[in-house]
Amino acid sequence: MSRERVLIANRGEIAIRIMQACKDLGLDYVVVYTEEDKSSLHVRLAQKENDLKRAYRISNYRDPNEIFSVADQAKCTAIHPGYGFFAENSGFARRATMRTRPLTFIGPRWEVIRDLGSKINTKRLAKELHIPVIPGSDRSIYNEMEAEGVAEELFFLQKEQGIQHPSVLVKASAGGGGMGIEEVSRLDTFRMVYRKIQNYAKRQFGDEGVLIEQCLRDYQHLEVQLLCSSHGEVVHFGTRNCTIQSTGRQKRVEVAPGFDPAVCKYPFDAKGVLDQIVRYSVRMAGHVGYDNIGTWEWIVSRDGSPYLMEVNTRIQVENEISASISRIKGATGPTNLIREQIRVALGDRLGFTQDDVSFKGTSIELRIVAENTNRGFVPWCGTITRFDYLDRPWARVYSHVPRDIPYKIPTEYDPNLALVIIWGQDTEQAKERARQFQRGIVIEGKGMEGENIVTNLDYLYDRIGYILQF
Amino acid sequence: MGINLDDLLRHYRSHIFEDYQVKTPHTGVISFEVEEGQAVEGPSGRWLQRPGTLLYILEREKNAKRIYASWKGQVTGIRSELEGHFVEADELVLFIRHRLDREEIIDRILTQMLTILRAPQQARYFLSSDILAGLEKRPEARIAIGPGDEVVIMSLMKRDTPISYRGEPGVLYKVYFRSGDIVEQGSPLLGVCPSDRLQYMQKVIQRIRTDWED
Repeated sequence: MSRERVLIANRGEIAIRIMQACKDLGLDYVVVYTEEDKSSLHVRLAQKENDLKRAYRISNYRDPNEIFSVADQAKCTAIHPGYGFFAENSGFARRATMRTRPLTFIGPRWEVIRDLGSKINTKRLAKELHIPVIPGSDRSIYNEMEAEGVAEELFFLQKEQGIQHPSVLVKASAGGGGMGIEEVSRLDTFRMVYRKIQNYAKRQFGDEGVLIEQCLRDYQHLEVQLLCSSHGEVVHFGTRNCTIQSTGRQKRVEVAPGFDPAVCKYPFDAKGVLDQIVRYSVRMAGHVGYDNIGTWEWIVSRDGSPYLMEVNTRIQVENEISASISRIKGATGPTNLIREQIRVALGDRLGFTQDDVSFKGTSIELRIVAENTNRGFVPWCGTITRFDYLDRPWARVYSHVPRDIPYKIPTEYDPNLALVIIWGQDTEQAKERARQFQRGIVIEGKGMEGENIVTNLDYLYDRIGYILQF
Repeated sequence: MGINLDDLLRHYRSHIFEDYQVKTPHTGVISFEVEEGQAVEGPSGRWLQRPGTLLYILEREKNAKRIYASWKGQVTGIRSELEGHFVEADELVLFIRHRLDREEIIDRILTQMLTILRAPQQARYFLSSDILAGLEKRPEARIAIGPGDEVVIMSLMKRDTPISYRGEPGVLYKVYFRSGDIVEQGSPLLGVCPSDRLQYMQKVIQRIRTDWED
């Protein structure tokens, strides 16, 4: 592999993980940061290596001109978008690869992002391939009357099906990560919610398009992890269960594999459903010529019916639990999916097939967030004065929070503090280890008014007992 | 609410200059258009539509951004060593020493008399759609505000929270931020003048206009 220099167009823990993956592959890298993020560990780690300037201050992570300007100044050859920001922006990916001084975009081809990055396009494509999707609109709606018409139809259909408490979800089309979604359980309140989401979408994403879907209540949220190359190779890294989420539909505890019939009883053939969603995901990836890392998100209802929700054409926060339980034949240690993603983006072949991938054990991810779980998961602002935990051979922690100096949580971004990845021989051991590790975490800090820090640690501990259960 | 106007005027007479930092809004290659000690003008015109003196040009991705002075004053501490080089965002490039004028003195003194709604957190703030629509229609209009009215939206960590006004009823006298700006915790967002104090405020303004010479 030639000497590439990767611009990491992201922040926080994912910037650190990408930085590490670059180092492992012998690639050079550069990070960007904003003034609010100057104390983040991703900046300090990059600045530590004094031989070369590796950290550039920019005005905004969402300004493409800033990213390309630094890429040229630092003579980068590739851009890794991480997750969020530009990760699923096909215009950005296209610009990166087609500009006068082209850069390799570490992600799928821009055409693939365009086609699958939109929930609406994905839905249309799934229907074409006879892959089941959640009932609702299959294009962005900008008109209030039209939106209300779709909602009315969905309420009617649910009543027809005998659903006692029908409801619909109003989603910002351009949203993601659980943001910009609200439930409506009475048609007469629909317009108010529609306007609220429309305004929110306009402010946050610059596109006021809205999607209306039937709200499924009793379900599990599953994911299929795929890795593909530009040489037509498609390999899956199993399934994950991401059902435990905050009230704002943001994931908090994730587990791989997606179901475990050895410890939980399911009212359907769990293994059969997992096989089915993997098959569907692989089929769609093959159909569109998917060529990088990606996640197919699924809803599985109590009767075992799967519905494709969306495709995330990027690395996920939770990719590490899939990596933890998978082994590639001939490789030492667990898989590193970010490393694999960079490799294939730079043109490599996978170098292995599905038969070379094996799975072992259960992995759990705990997302530590400064938020008040007793008050609607409202984010907490303040300064962390101590962040500590006991190192364990079966646990990894990814965080941008320094352990040696106080850290003020920036108010511009989500107050995510750390990801804890636990591995166990089986689900019971993984759960026990997750509880054990959680008990050893110390986070101290003070808010603006001198109040003690609030985190979701107790909530996470409590939820460990509920993983994988329907 | 009474104020000691003489004391306030004395204070401002002895603190007549303010130094403003000029920082780069984004990355790019910088070319200065002013020199140390040069006098510069701020924006002018009824709607401040005429830009101030051109301070520097920042070229990024083949686009030249012209940065104008936002204040009238004198250029100090210019970092001429950056000329022709790539600069990062938020880089301090020069100062403008600004002499406060009569209208600014009025503004500062009035701030001490208004009921101020302050930013509860450092966050991005937006005017509520009702107020925004009202101001767009008639910028000079005095919009009535009462306790419990949702006046501002705080966008914190990607979550929108409506902020309600809790002070005594009155009219919106001043907006201290631009919709979409990040505002520091405790900084003023809105200044509301109780209706019964409007007349007193006018008297104070008149008195400053008489006593203060630019």
